[in-house]
Amino acid sequence: MTRKIFVLNGPNLNLLGTREPEIYGSKTLESISSECRALGVKKGLDLEFRQSNHEGDLVDWIQEAIGVADGIVINAGAYTHTSVAIHDALRSFDGYKIELHISNPHLREPFRHVSYVSSAVDSIVAGLGVDAYELLVDILADALDGQARKN
Amino acid sequence: MKHTVLILNGPGLADLGDYEGNRFSTLTLESISDDCETRCNELGIDLDFRQTEDYDELFRWIAKDSEDFDGVIINPAARAAAAPETADSYRSAIHLVAQLNKPVIEVHIDNIYRRSAENSYSRHEPEGDMGFICGFGKLGYTLAISSLARRFEKNAAA
Repeated sequence: MTRKIFVLNGPNLNLLGTREPEIYGSKTLESISSECRALGVKKGLDLEFRQSNHEGDLVDWIQEAIGVADGIVINAGAYTHTSVAIHDALRSFDGYKIELHISNPHLREPFRHVSYVSSAVDSIVAGLGVDAYELLVDILADALDGQARKN
Repeated sequence: MKHTVLILNGPGLADLGDYEGNRFSTLTLESISDDCETRCNELGIDLDFRQTEDYDELFRWIAKDSEDFDGVIINPAARAAAAPETADSYRSAIHLVAQLNKPVIEVHIDNIYRRSAENSYSRHEPEGDMGFICGFGKLGYTLAISSLARRFEKNAAA
């Protein structure tokens, strides 16, 4: 059985590969997406990669995932630190939820130290670089199984 | 040359059956250790996996022993990192590791931001190569090991 996973990316992640490569690496979101989707196929996962600079798009996509997707991986970018709307949308999604950050927000400016996403998700990964996407896909099937055992 | 990884577990992690709000009821530290050993073997990494009930020993391991390894994974147990009486010592120990300029990943078994007691948990670590993983159960450890292996590969290629 193939499981559907939404991988949602927030503002400025369309600039991956060119924006501050010393922090975010030189890979583009597109190449990360195609690598992850190829790995996902082997793992029985159908990955839907999306990116938007608009908060409302992310809220719409989380709502769209309800009843359709088994899990959401969300890198909400800077909306992590401001968006109660994304927090609320995530809480209404019953599947497995992971918060992802390429860098570790807690090593950066104080305004990045608060996350409205963290308390609305099951798991968090931060500061592992762009590799985090692929590393996550690698364990995602097992993580979903663990989640199923919990319920 | 084989890379080496040190995994440190803090007080309270010896008996996960009593783990607060335990949703990982079948989880034991031994099974975590076994999984880490298996993953490290697959990746050709030498592993030293430890646990202590003594905060001072944990902080000593972090500050002193980390030096001898290529990468370090720490589960401080949330209380060690958050409780006022131990948080400062934890942070100073972490500060010393950060200066060694090697990858360090903090791992927690559950999502510490969903536990009301740790809502205020602050992870204002110093500058450094510091990853953070929580809420994956024991998979968090193998995820951390895989991430360190990638880092070693990249450093070797650079």
